[in-house]
Amino acid sequence: MNYLWHILVMISIYAILAASLNLVTGYSGLLSLCHAAFYGIGAYVTTLLMMRAGFGFLPAMALGAALTALISLAIAIPSLRLRGDYFVLATLGFQVIIFGVLYNWVSLTQGPYGIPGIPIPVILGIPVDTVFRYALLSGALAVACLVMIRAVARSPFGRLLRAVRDDEIAAAALGKNVPRIKITVFALGAAFAAVPGALFAGYMRFIDPTSFTLAEAIFILSIVVIGGAGSLAGPVLGAAFMVLLPEALRFLQMPDAVAANMRQIIYGLLLVVLMRFRPQGFLGKYGFE
Amino acid sequence: MLLQLLANGLVNGCMIALMALGYALIYNTTRIFHVAHGAAYTAAAYLCYLLLIVFKWPLLLAVVGGVAAAALLGVTMELAVYAPLYRRGASDLISLISSLGLYVALVNLIALLFGNETKVLRPGVEKTCRLLGVILTRIQVAEVVVAAVLLPLLVLFLKRTLWGKIIRGVRDNPVLAEVLGIDLMAVRIAVFAAGSALAGMAACLTALDVGMDPQVGMPVLLTAAVALIVGGVGTFEGPVIGGFLLGLIQSLIVWKISAQWTDVITFGVLIVFLVFRPEGIASRRRRLEESAA
Repeated sequence: MNYLWHILVMISIYAILAASLNLVTGYSGLLSLCHAAFYGIGAYVTTLLMMRAGFGFLPAMALGAALTALISLAIAIPSLRLRGDYFVLATLGFQVIIFGVLYNWVSLTQGPYGIPGIPIPVILGIPVDTVFRYALLSGALAVACLVMIRAVARSPFGRLLRAVRDDEIAAAALGKNVPRIKITVFALGAAFAAVPGALFAGYMRFIDPTSFTLAEAIFILSIVVIGGAGSLAGPVLGAAFMVLLPEALRFLQMPDAVAANMRQIIYGLLLVVLMRFRPQGFLGKYGFE
Repeated sequence: MLLQLLANGLVNGCMIALMALGYALIYNTTRIFHVAHGAAYTAAAYLCYLLLIVFKWPLLLAVVGGVAAAALLGVTMELAVYAPLYRRGASDLISLISSLGLYVALVNLIALLFGNETKVLRPGVEKTCRLLGVILTRIQVAEVVVAAVLLPLLVLFLKRTLWGKIIRGVRDNPVLAEVLGIDLMAVRIAVFAAGSALAGMAACLTALDVGMDPQVGMPVLLTAAVALIVGGVGTFEGPVIGGFLLGLIQSLIVWKISAQWTDVITFGVLIVFLVFRPEGIASRRRRLEESAA
């Protein structure tokens, strides 16, 4: 049974990650390859606040989200003038830089050794010490985040995002402040990405920089693209699909070493095939045109 | 000590410049953010390993095999993935996501076939040469010689010959080039072949020097992309200048700070350029109405 709860935790984590990236990429058309950096900053800030400053899990997570949003400004403001490929390359650079900082700033992050012994989250006095309880916590946070993201997407601001995505010049001509809209949605996406970071840290009770690499950023983007960019259900379906894929391979009796590569080969090819025949993904509304 | 560092920077710069020029050929002409170029690089290194160590081919033939494999892979990717997308009029973002998918699939295929561990092509101590108090291995001398021959020849070729003019024409305006009777798809195949072959050359030489693992392609590709932007997108001398500049900066980082910060500072340089001089070192400032393309 614990196995099922574990899968539910992982799906919750990736569903929030994908839904938050979907705000940036699916609704606003900004292809970002630094979401794993925000995920990592969220994980590290939450962990450090809990372990060094004695914060509880939820306050640490909230502060982590706020700080991640603040850090996202450092990339959003200079990259805003850039379009298309250049913006992607800037976010990619930011991803590599953050990974390098997590890896090399040993006095703060313990670098490649990682941080072990992260305390169990305690919510309302109840320790979240079983996989079942953790599945409840992460499921609840995922639902909360998804509801908030849905509210953003359906608000006038959400409409503005789609307007900027579909025709930036027209939106600017109507007097909308396009740069400010982009900065806001980027910060919002970063803040939401910090939540699964905190969940991941509290669940694994150990973090090191290798969980927050460029490959992870590409993985999160793939979830959005495969599930369907610009739709509400797409990221959730994509997350479920991508988390269940390796489990399915395991049921096919594939050895773990092969399965790890096979899973990535499958999702890489899936990206190529989808872009060719169905760029909006399974459920998407936005085909990157 | 300083001289040795400069020499190492030069060797490193030669390889970045080769990779960056190959990337520039493809990117300038097709505007595809061809991440899977990194996979062509990795594939060339592994084929070289296969031919040299497993099949016991002579060194030179193994390198030729690696270069040919990269060119073939590049052309295959163009024909199977990018050309259909271009004909459909798909956006740059779609090509980019396809390219990411290709990269992930190919690199994992290589890891599946050859294993994830680091492979060394020439075990043991390499013979060295001393020149002006600088110590270089024979492979490193070969890297410099290959780059010193190929880079100027290619840049001159692209600047002076009709072929170069056609490629520049396609770069500046693909639609107009096609109207003038240039076979656009053939030019695209040619730049994919030549660009990937350059990546293969850099890959084989670097692999002979320091070995490789399945993940080597991405950092090399990213450094080449940074060299192109720093040097100047749309030019062919720009990526070469940018490549040498990055090679020198990286060896200074190793000297003054620590090798671990190399990636951080490389991308720091990128962000500085993107913000303050997005047109790069070599390209002239364009007038506003030119920048639309």
